[in-house]
Amino acid sequence: MRGLLRKIFYEVRVPTLLFGIGLAIIMTLLTALLPKVLGDIDKLFGSIPFIKPLLSTMLGVDPGEAFTGQLMQAFLWVHPTVLAIIWAHELMYCSRVPAAEIDRGSVDFLLGLPVSRWKLYVAETIGWMVTGLIILGFGFTGHAIASKTMEPDMLPTPFATFSVICNLYCVYLAVGSITLMFSAMSDRRGRAIGVVFGLLVFSFLVNFLSQPLPVMTEESDIGEKVAAITKPDEKLEETPIWEPAKNVAFLSVMEYYRPAFIIESQTFPKRNIGILLTVTIICWTIGGIIFRRRSICTV
Amino acid sequence: MSVIEAQHLTKSYGSRRGVIDVNLNVEPGEIFGFLGPNGAGKSTTIRMLTGFLRASSGNVKIFGQDCWANSDTIKREVGYVAGDVRLYPWLTTNRAFKIVSEIRGKDIEERGRQLADRFRLECDLPVRKMSRGNRQKVALVLALAHDPKLVVLDEPTSGLDPLMQDTLAECLREMAEAGNTVFFSSHTLNEVETLCDRVAIVRNGSIVVDDRIQNLKAVAPRTVTLVFESEENAANVEWPDFVDVKRRYKNECILEIEGTAIELTTWANQQAITDITISPPSLDALFRGYYETKKELV
Repeated sequence: MRGLLRKIFYEVRVPTLLFGIGLAIIMTLLTALLPKVLGDIDKLFGSIPFIKPLLSTMLGVDPGEAFTGQLMQAFLWVHPTVLAIIWAHELMYCSRVPAAEIDRGSVDFLLGLPVSRWKLYVAETIGWMVTGLIILGFGFTGHAIASKTMEPDMLPTPFATFSVICNLYCVYLAVGSITLMFSAMSDRRGRAIGVVFGLLVFSFLVNFLSQPLPVMTEESDIGEKVAAITKPDEKLEETPIWEPAKNVAFLSVMEYYRPAFIIESQTFPKRNIGILLTVTIICWTIGGIIFRRRSICTV
Repeated sequence: MSVIEAQHLTKSYGSRRGVIDVNLNVEPGEIFGFLGPNGAGKSTTIRMLTGFLRASSGNVKIFGQDCWANSDTIKREVGYVAGDVRLYPWLTTNRAFKIVSEIRGKDIEERGRQLADRFRLECDLPVRKMSRGNRQKVALVLALAHDPKLVVLDEPTSGLDPLMQDTLAECLREMAEAGNTVFFSSHTLNEVETLCDRVAIVRNGSIVVDDRIQNLKAVAPRTVTLVFESEENAANVEWPDFVDVKRRYKNECILEIEGTAIELTTWANQQAITDITISPPSLDALFRGYYETKKELV
């Protein structure tokens, strides 16, 4: 196992460090800069109708009209750049074995050594989990550094921050286990990454389309409709952007990641974490079984 | 007990043929040549031996253990070099010694350095900066450094210069002398002929011949050149059944015979011949026959 971990260390140390530093910089910038746009957020909601569902999609709650400083901090943990860095890292990592190894032919060397496929899979899993913690650690460090410049009432409680990071790590595990599963099925790294990337896009889309969008009842006249965009009243009904999306929203990984809700309610997301860990265990096990049983052909 | 034992080994890739009903027995201390043209099924057979591929039917064992179920246990005593060596770009030979030592639970560094010296390999150079031949050398050093009881080599000389090919042959002979076994796949006859004790020829996924090199040489064709006293003698000669006349030019005839030349020399004594040249047995011609026709040796 030590030899396998050493091989993983040599292989992923540089990309992990780069992804980590990138995430730390982004988190520092976002933590420092996001409160500055807080004052203009209401205007933004009024001028672009789709911005509110988009924010709801990412935050996991309807921000309403009052966008507090703490809620703004939740936006840090769902910012597309942050998620893109984390997911890019794990798509890179989890597609390495066996898909990338078969793709480039180095699996012949690796499995030519006296190592069982399960052992290799477990070693890769350890590396994946540890590098995930390292990446999130970098992100948290960047956030913590920038937090020192902020007013204390703008900051979420340590408990809320810890809960959000736990939830995000479970999202990382779920997405990674799905990538491992598709990697175990594939001989081509690009194919494995493509499938998981497609699932993530689907996940975002479904979550977005299932968010409520203010629409007017038939009695509303044009004047009311115009007014409603900037000033909603009782005549507005909230329905999903696309009704069928609501029925499949449970398939979206974003459905189980609600940082704003955690920060507002100060509750640990046990249910969401439970679901994400269940998905992780199922996909990881399926991936391991497939990898153990499949024939490997590089020629 | 045979080191490698394959019985009715078959692998098919859907409609594509892999190998069909392969039977093999490789004994300890043997250098076994596995010869065949490209796409004949050599690598597929080797990949079943090394536990990469699961056989569609039949079974294959190394040291009496099933190659699929006990692949990792078997590989403790096996060194393997794949046909097309691909290594990690960041890997240096020194790093590889550390990683492989830890995985094998056996320090291979000292023996590895000796082999690296013999193969004139720079141990600090990363693979991304190496030529194809040097990558091949790294793979060979790593496969031989733990003194394996069996080495499985899939076309190991590709990319090696003639000097390094000789070094490899020398290492393999030393291994065989020490009682270890070598399974050597190639599509080049010369290296198999000079190195191996026994050879199996695979064609279209099936083994068409499996015999000792000496036995094959005994039946391999020889080229004979006969120079007659005159052109007329050459034209009117009555040829015996055991010769195959290839061509005649003036008073010179080129023929091919199978087996020993004793019968031919006896017959030639009674002819008006001024000179006779007999070449050594040509395995090349024999193997070409197996590659190109449906000729099979029983």
